[in-house]
Amino acid sequence: MRKLLAGLAALLAMTGVGAGVARAENITFWTWRQEDKAAYTKLFAEFTKAHPGVHVLFRAFPPADYQTIVSTALAGGKGPDVLHTRAYGGLEQLAKPGYLLELTPQNDPELANLPASAKTALAVRSTGKIYSSAFSTQTLGILVNRKILAEAKVAEPKTWAELLAACKAVKAAGKICIANGTATGWMDEVFAGDLTGPLLGQQFFKDVVAGKTTFKDPKYTAALGKLLELKPYMPPGFTGIDYPTSQQLFLTGRAAMFVGGSWEIANFHKQNPKLAIDFMAPPAPDANSPRLVSKFYDGGYAVVKSSKHQKAALELVRFMGTKHFGDQLGAMLGDISPIEGVKLADPMLARVAAMDKQSVPYIMLVSFRYENPTGSELLQGALQKMFAGSMTPQQVGASVTAGIAKYYKPFQGK
Amino acid sequence: MTERNRLAWQLLLGANTVVMIFPLLVMLLSATRTNAEIFASPLGLPTGAVFANVVKVWRDTNFPLYLANSVIVTVGSIAAILVFGTMAAYALARYVFRGAGLVYLFFVAGLMLPLKLAIIPLFIQLDTLHLLNTRLGLILIYVAMGLPSAVFILTGFLRTLPGELEESARLDGASELTVMLRIMLPLARPALVISGIQNAVPIWNDFFFPLVILTSDRLKTLPQGLTIFMGEFNTDWGVLFAGLTLAALPITLVYIVLSRQFIAGLTQGAIK
Amino acid sequence: MTPAKSRRHRVRRGLWILLLLAPGAAVMTMFVVVPVLGAFADAFRSFQGPRPTGWVGFANLRDVLFVAPYAAATWRALWHNVVVFTSLMVVQNGLAYLIAFALLKALPGHRVHQVIVFLPVVLSAIVVGILWKELLNPIFGAVNELLAMLGVQGPPWLGDAGTALASIIATNAWHWMGFPALIFLAAMQRIPRETLEAARIDGATDRVLMARIIWPLVAPATTIVVILTFIGSFNWFELPYVMTGLDGSPGGATDVLGLLFYRTAFGGVSSGLEDFGHGSALAVLMFIVVAAVSAVALRILRAREIEL
Repeated sequence: MRKLLAGLAALLAMTGVGAGVARAENITFWTWRQEDKAAYTKLFAEFTKAHPGVHVLFRAFPPADYQTIVSTALAGGKGPDVLHTRAYGGLEQLAKPGYLLELTPQNDPELANLPASAKTALAVRSTGKIYSSAFSTQTLGILVNRKILAEAKVAEPKTWAELLAACKAVKAAGKICIANGTATGWMDEVFAGDLTGPLLGQQFFKDVVAGKTTFKDPKYTAALGKLLELKPYMPPGFTGIDYPTSQQLFLTGRAAMFVGGSWEIANFHKQNPKLAIDFMAPPAPDANSPRLVSKFYDGGYAVVKSSKHQKAALELVRFMGTKHFGDQLGAMLGDISPIEGVKLADPMLARVAAMDKQSVPYIMLVSFRYENPTGSELLQGALQKMFAGSMTPQQVGASVTAGIAKYYKPFQGK
Repeated sequence: MTERNRLAWQLLLGANTVVMIFPLLVMLLSATRTNAEIFASPLGLPTGAVFANVVKVWRDTNFPLYLANSVIVTVGSIAAILVFGTMAAYALARYVFRGAGLVYLFFVAGLMLPLKLAIIPLFIQLDTLHLLNTRLGLILIYVAMGLPSAVFILTGFLRTLPGELEESARLDGASELTVMLRIMLPLARPALVISGIQNAVPIWNDFFFPLVILTSDRLKTLPQGLTIFMGEFNTDWGVLFAGLTLAALPITLVYIVLSRQFIAGLTQGAIK
Repeated sequence: MTPAKSRRHRVRRGLWILLLLAPGAAVMTMFVVVPVLGAFADAFRSFQGPRPTGWVGFANLRDVLFVAPYAAATWRALWHNVVVFTSLMVVQNGLAYLIAFALLKALPGHRVHQVIVFLPVVLSAIVVGILWKELLNPIFGAVNELLAMLGVQGPPWLGDAGTALASIIATNAWHWMGFPALIFLAAMQRIPRETLEAARIDGATDRVLMARIIWPLVAPATTIVVILTFIGSFNWFELPYVMTGLDGSPGGATDVLGLLFYRTAFGGVSSGLEDFGHGSALAVLMFIVVAAVSAVALRILRAREIEL
């Protein structure tokens, strides 16, 4: 009997009849981005069309609990098949203990579509092995309400001095200039990274990464000190203004600028389509210096090693690494895929992608979020104190450097 | 009591009631307004469609299903907590036996253990027992979390009941089970009400454990479903407050309906 | 009774007690004790992501207690927990005692007041946290709006290191005040009428009644309130989490042990990485502190009940 069945199966396999039947399988995709559900559902339907019988279930979790839930499920051997991962240290802490499948040019030929710079963000540093395909890049700049600037009769500020002048004019016209508050820690890091990038210049970042200088460098603390010049132009009670409130101040037309990332563009369009907004690079220290944006990779798609549908999962990750998928991310979600040659139909996104040509790394995430205490957590708390006036920029630089020195040799004894 | 004195106390109660009610009114008001309206005037009255936000929550989530799941999980957990809790508390309160003190400590120490920390071992435990992604698994977690306070409150209460009734029933030849069910438990009703409500609130409101252990859509509880839904609207205060109000409404209504019995239960002797 | 009969009786009684205790003990063992002991063991391990890599003895505990930068955060958080407990005892429970006394007088409308004072207790901490966070918003919050009507410019409550923790404590008091109030009221109602009447006839004022006559008589209620407030204050998590975030903004001014342990173990949203070793070490410390202090406090309070 068993022999007969085996023979039958072999026969079916040979004729290819079994293929369609055997491939009826469901795979799951986990993400922290509930707001992207509609777009992914559409893209997954396309995937199913190309891979008959393979259905993808989309499951989103609240961002604040995502890490906890993923770790718990992976440690219990019950993760999804495909995981939306963070990049850099967030990826490494899952890849290093072996929860994710290594991606190679053999099992994922689409990796070839990625630029070389992506590979450092998606790999484990010590081995250089890659564990996820790329989701998108993010660019830090300033979102501008064109109408308010026009009413205050100021042009797009290109230098720091022009920014201060523009803010003065906007304030005189009775509006808030900068929508950002400081109550949400991670936004403080964005705010500081965004605006200090051009003030520091590319060389500084090279020096930090090479271990030639630290965050105690007077250049760095001077740049932090510059941020304090913006205090009069931030919302009243800005230390108590959190991220959602800042967004609303900008979206309801009460504030002229929002210092933030390119991920806000699509979100802001969706929430208030009538608002005429622009995305500009942060101001340069003077008219002769470049306006450098800060840039980082914002996660990727990984195959969970313990998946029972590894083959299908790998197919999905390959699909998510195609140029077509990257195009669709841009068109439907406003995310800029790093895949080479993607088309960005939206002119504003295209401009952002052009700005990326002159960029500096978003340093704490890119280089110092691999070990505890991370540069990010050290900086975020210290920045809140700096804005509240209980810490000087020099003290911020010293405390961040001392914290990182715990595990980063070049900072030790400095 | 002098008139002035009376007035002072009346004022204290009145002021307190205003402070308690006012934020809830703001929540209800906000649930009926848009961001722009809330920004322009935080305390204003709604101008547009009053139920637009509520309708949005209702339409975009599977509210009735979530509600049904939450009711099943909460009722199931409370029933088990009260049955198991009463049994244990009865043994601890009405019998003298060796090791009773240690057993009591074992139960009460659970009040101080942070179960969130143990989420990974707990998850693996549920997996071993094939209880992941089941309502029973969730209910068992809640029972384990609720038992310590139930035993704490019920033991304290059962201890204070007089022993004469019990003894005379025994002399009449009643079994231990009859004594417990027919004689003692009816007297303990107030404490059961307190323990029930005290546990129902956190169980009804919890979204963390369902998020971690339930993966099927059809099992989602109300706070879990709404938390995920509101993730998309964390900057739309009107929708956010509508969701919060809807999430809080069922248990608030239950409380108001049962408040007479609940307060009677509490004031009849939670103490001693 | 013959010895054999009495022995059989004893065995049956023992089995009966065992039967009563078994189901509860079994559920607790399987779903609380075993997992938590497993997590406590993690305090002595090193980790890579969620995966344990080896045993490190007391290194994690030593780090969180004595080694920079962990230790500074631990002690600061512990201090904040002490502040929370003390403030709640005074503000929340003190007010609750007054309200209970007022309710005891059975003034007109006291039943309605009774229902309302307990109403916030049925709400989840998440709802209460989000609600009060918006009420305290510096720009469109109702609290500052009301102050503005009185001509006062309110501070950015949750953004100012001087007012943030106090604001969350006040919110907690609003949320929970009804619970101690009704526990006190329950105790007060069990005091015989004659005792209170006799005191009144002797000319006792309300103040004397509250401080000298009623206070000692509600000692058991005080025990429950103190213990539950203590345990609640040291496991404080949801309210600060919702109102000022996992990092205890601004600049750690609202950081408490609950936040610190969760953040350390599971990592921040956009800042930290997982560190189950140090996180578990913090949890072990929390448990030891809470259990030890509660045990001592319970003993003292029970002794006081008898004395008074």
